[in-house]
Amino acid sequence: MAIKELHKKLAAHEISAAELCKSYLEKIKASDPEINSYITVCYDGAVKQAEEAQKRIDSGCDDILCGIPLSIKDNICTKGVKTTCASKILEDFVPVYDATVMEKLNAAGAVMLGKTNMDEFAMGGSSQTSYFGGVHNPFDTTRVTGGSSGGACASVAAGFCAAALGSDTGGSVRQPAAFCGVTGLKPTYGAVSRYGLIAFASGLDQIGVVGDCAEDCALVLDVIHGKDPSDGTSSYLAKGNYTSRIGESLKGRKIGLPKEFFGEGISSEVRESVMNAANFYKDSGCELIEVSMPSLKYAVSAYYLISSAEAASNLSRFDGIKYGYRTKDADSYNELIKKTRSEGFGDEVKRRILLGNYALCSGYYDAYYNNASRIRKKIIGEYADIFDKCDVILTPTAPTTAYKIGQQENDPVKMYLADICTVTVNIAGLPAISTPCGYGSDNMPIGMSLVGRAFDEAQIVSLCDAYEKSFERREVKR
Amino acid sequence: MRYVPVIGLEIHAEMLTNSKVFCGCANEFGGAQNDRVCPRCSGMPGTLPVVNQGAVMLAARAGFALECTVNNYSAFDRKNYFYPDLPKAYQITQFQYPICTNGHIRVCDTDIRINRIHIEEDAGKLVHDDYEGISMADYNRCGVPLIEIVTEPDFRTVEQVQRFVEEIALRLKYAGVCDSRMEQGSLRVDVNISIMPEGSSEFGTRAEIKNLNSVKAIGRAIEYEISRQSEILDKGGTVVQETRRFNDNHGDTKALRSKEEAHDYRYFPEPDIPPVYISDEELDEIRRSMPEMPNMRFKRYTEEYSLPAEDAGLIIANKAFSDFYDAAVKIYPSYKQVSNLMLVELNRCLNDSGLSAEDLKFSPENLAALVKMSDDGVISKNAAKDILRTMFESGKDPETIAKEQNLIMSNDTGELEAIVDKVIAENQDSVESYKSGNQKVFGFLMGQVIRFAGKGANPKLAKDILMKKIND
Repeated sequence: MAIKELHKKLAAHEISAAELCKSYLEKIKASDPEINSYITVCYDGAVKQAEEAQKRIDSGCDDILCGIPLSIKDNICTKGVKTTCASKILEDFVPVYDATVMEKLNAAGAVMLGKTNMDEFAMGGSSQTSYFGGVHNPFDTTRVTGGSSGGACASVAAGFCAAALGSDTGGSVRQPAAFCGVTGLKPTYGAVSRYGLIAFASGLDQIGVVGDCAEDCALVLDVIHGKDPSDGTSSYLAKGNYTSRIGESLKGRKIGLPKEFFGEGISSEVRESVMNAANFYKDSGCELIEVSMPSLKYAVSAYYLISSAEAASNLSRFDGIKYGYRTKDADSYNELIKKTRSEGFGDEVKRRILLGNYALCSGYYDAYYNNASRIRKKIIGEYADIFDKCDVILTPTAPTTAYKIGQQENDPVKMYLADICTVTVNIAGLPAISTPCGYGSDNMPIGMSLVGRAFDEAQIVSLCDAYEKSFERREVKR
Repeated sequence: MRYVPVIGLEIHAEMLTNSKVFCGCANEFGGAQNDRVCPRCSGMPGTLPVVNQGAVMLAARAGFALECTVNNYSAFDRKNYFYPDLPKAYQITQFQYPICTNGHIRVCDTDIRINRIHIEEDAGKLVHDDYEGISMADYNRCGVPLIEIVTEPDFRTVEQVQRFVEEIALRLKYAGVCDSRMEQGSLRVDVNISIMPEGSSEFGTRAEIKNLNSVKAIGRAIEYEISRQSEILDKGGTVVQETRRFNDNHGDTKALRSKEEAHDYRYFPEPDIPPVYISDEELDEIRRSMPEMPNMRFKRYTEEYSLPAEDAGLIIANKAFSDFYDAAVKIYPSYKQVSNLMLVELNRCLNDSGLSAEDLKFSPENLAALVKMSDDGVISKNAAKDILRTMFESGKDPETIAKEQNLIMSNDTGELEAIVDKVIAENQDSVESYKSGNQKVFGFLMGQVIRFAGKGANPKLAKDILMKKIND
């Protein structure tokens, strides 16, 4: 049920916030063992929050998220509630502070049902690298959810929450949203404070929203966006009001189709579904323009170099000295950090740390990190050229539908290449939204992405909303 | 063989901001361990650094104080290495785009070039408990804002290095950037030193001596290194590039780690902090707010005020003292007299009491008035010293003190003449003796006059009258 509907029911006292919260908690308790979308469920805390929210509703509070139950990705710090990043190294880590987004959600009266599963430290596209076990796709539990916000997207798809916060560094909100048949919004870099989001790649990370529809994502973004004095990279340009253009005529809007996103490696049924959506827009009065992004072929390499370099540095603080896992026996400081990190991190995280440090080593820095930064500038330039001609860009979200668990995880390079459709958006810091636009022969959802100009979330939300109203979504059968 | 040392410095100075450079914790010295620590400076997951604009401002002031170019654009980088006193396992510093570049300071008639000044954060401290066999981390110092001043290898003598460090310490104090308390570690010096045969222009392999915390230690460490490296070369050996630690008790240096063991810091642009832009207008504003630097004051004192170099040097050595002097001579420009009174009498008071020039109870106006009274002959020079001491203790103005202590010199000729007549009448023998050529007796007679006339008597006037009457 859409947030607006839930809000109406709460406001009309058709249901109490606590009842609503408990109904989700019961569903989680009954069905999540199959899905494994939550790492921590706040059975007591959520009900308490709901009761507080109810008091506010009773005293006339009309805040849209008051009493609305949400799930939070487990890399967002929640004061007093375990925040693990799905890693052994933070298995028992309880933050002493709330992320800025949590402060905002708490102030808005939202209810946190629990913390969702993910790829360890958000590194991955399958949600199978979690220390707490992989996440299963609610459409077909033998398939992956995508990742890294697989728990967030599965929790929305399975009806284990009204909406979810995820994080998106290279597609981590949009790709699992596509695989799970829900809507995922990755805001402009700087639109949402990163304070309290445990960093993977600081220059690319952005907290995003997963929901049943574009409007739900926009409503949550309205609450969490904005300049934050605690995050120097957050921006005054994030103005909110992200639902303001919903319902406007689509006539004359210019939609760019970058040809490189529809080429080799994209499955034909994905291509077909996205082109169908393009035709929907054409029929609605939009102008379709073929555009080009020649540097796309370098994007995945540049993305993995930059993100791994930043990750290697960001993850250095996990040394067993201050918090988190510490090896049982070590005779020296060097042995302590070596063993702690060897035992505490999973393989994929170690792979990125090695790759990142290699790219930053003196002697290799120019060849790797600097060249990647140059490609980054090129991609930003190519997006700017496209946005001279277009209002938004339409692309597939992922080359394929969700694959079988165990099918791809052993081939990291193949996994990395599957990020081709999403990484450029992070590299350029742009907003994008993914929504289902079809189903494959395997009955799994297919996603398309609308990419907008920086801080123009209202535009992509409105275009996405118009499409969603015409598209018949399949519900998860449970 | 005779060798010439080639020396370059890296100076770390803690900046006098109220809070730390990337969080709101207080920037103070001392206190209980881990008393000034928050999620940010202890590197808790998810926290982000936010630049303290006050630190940027002070770093810019350091740039102007040390005659650097202060750049409109600067940016932060990460320096990555593991150490338990570094909670994030990287230090935020400025590598590629430092805030200041291209400075120069003249000492001992030599131009010393400053390559750069950059902003960075300090690390914490480890406390080792040998009894328990454990080490503990104190993060109070984590995130204390530093500037690092890097010179070119332009020094050739110990004297140049020591004068340079003193000059830097003083200028940073004048600019309000650093309190320059080397003994507390707020100013620390790393010395890079190599030697080359006299007449050569090819630099040798350098050693880096870390964390010297007094001008004297810098001198001793350099002397030791010169002899150590000379000995190696004389024996046909080669100096190894390495980092060394100076031991103040033994007066020697010991190797810490060699070049091979040196870290690869894997610097890269800090993605959590946007670059720093300072507009030309802002830079102008900072420049206009800069106080006169001690070297310019020295020039003014010696050239315009004609003070001896030694006196000028003593005055500028303490900014508050020098400010006080400037304020006093602005009111009453008796440069030498004000200087004398401050350097001798006031300094004696300060030394005796242990107070500093900031603590003075009286104003520059009071001091100017006192010197004027002395110059005008209202009080005697000796009385001026006594009055200054009373001013120092009580904060009263000099006129009041002079009156209370009856130190205003009497210029009443009639009264003095009467006294002189009386002294002559009562000491006829001495008068005769003087007249017959015994000049020494005049002193005795003057003493008698002052005895009757009291301290307030104008000694010059008394002398004139006595001389006149005795010769009549």
